[in-house]
Amino acid sequence: MYITAASTISHQPTFKNAGFSKLIEPLKTDSELISPNFKDYIDAGLLRRMSKILRMSVTAAKDCLQQAGVDQPGAIIVGTGLGCLQDTEKFLNNFLTIEGLLPPTSFIQSTHNTIAGQISLSIGNHGYNMTHTQNTLSFEHALIDAGLLLVEGNDNIIVGAADEYIEILGEIGEKLSANPAINLTSGASFFVVSKDQSGNSIAKIKDVVTVGLVQDINVSIENFLTNNTLEESEIDLVLYSDFVDSGLVSDVVKRFENSSEAINYTNLVGIYPSNSSFALHYAADRIQNNNKIKTVLIINGLNRINLGLTLIQSIEA
Amino acid sequence: MDSLKEDLKKHIIEQLNLEDLTVSDIDDDALLFSADGIGLDSIDALELIVLMEKYYGIQVTNPDEGKVAFLSINTMADYIEKKRA
Repeated sequence: MYITAASTISHQPTFKNAGFSKLIEPLKTDSELISPNFKDYIDAGLLRRMSKILRMSVTAAKDCLQQAGVDQPGAIIVGTGLGCLQDTEKFLNNFLTIEGLLPPTSFIQSTHNTIAGQISLSIGNHGYNMTHTQNTLSFEHALIDAGLLLVEGNDNIIVGAADEYIEILGEIGEKLSANPAINLTSGASFFVVSKDQSGNSIAKIKDVVTVGLVQDINVSIENFLTNNTLEESEIDLVLYSDFVDSGLVSDVVKRFENSSEAINYTNLVGIYPSNSSFALHYAADRIQNNNKIKTVLIINGLNRINLGLTLIQSIEA
Repeated sequence: MDSLKEDLKKHIIEQLNLEDLTVSDIDDDALLFSADGIGLDSIDALELIVLMEKYYGIQVTNPDEGKVAFLSINTMADYIEKKRA
């Protein structure tokens, strides 16, 4: 599957900023979402009701379509770990405080599949519309779905992921005695993927695998590399995330240190359940801007029991 | 009656997140559900029903009544006055 367009809205200057991977520094703890002018992408009538996650997602998805020169995608597939939290919180607060009829908008927009739905509404798309919510592997599952659909004949698929931070997440984290250094953020990354290589192709997604209840990360990575007939030394860049500060993945990544550059992408974009979608955009951006990087491995270990492995290659590889 | 209309416009702007509009932008006789007027849609209609109960204690249970009542600020104000009488 080939990436023909990529767009990310995050706490870093990623939006409409090709080459951002060379510029960004590790995120500071007081960072804020860098929002583009959403009115440039979303009709005012729709925008007024949209929460942060919807604004980010629809804008990034439409930016992708513009980049790819595609009017109507063959499908819209979204991954989200926690869904539309802002509307969920608003609805629950309404539910607790209002007697009588409840305002419908926050209820309607509180469901996870609102994201994919709003993307389709904003472009008038009537095709396959799917939402995957699988904790920290939501984006990987969306990618697998996109790959299967491409085989079935759909083309120019929008696939992406988004999650939004709301204040109560920080409060819950504190009550759970989570590490205070955790940098919870919001982000949305969307892509247009196609079956065949074209002039617009940025990079190629060679393989995506998810492992639930992972027992041995090392063995899973070895199997993944073997299945793709790759040696460790052939990986030029490893992008990884770790479960808080467990060091589970960073220890494993040491096996690549002689031959590869290794970057913990949660330090760059912060923590949200689908932040591996940022890693995919980061990988594609690095490949585009450095012809020495041919093969990138994303190791998503954000949740202790879930492992996501994604292999990205340059078009020439 | 004028203060009721102004009050209604404020509530509508707030409840429907009409961020780009102010009270003075909404004419009393502008069609609320027309693209030439305010351009509201079916979800907004539900929000208006909630608004009528929340702020004016009026339950709009008859769809035919609602259609007429929600035409414009003028018709909404008339409807509220009638129900209060």
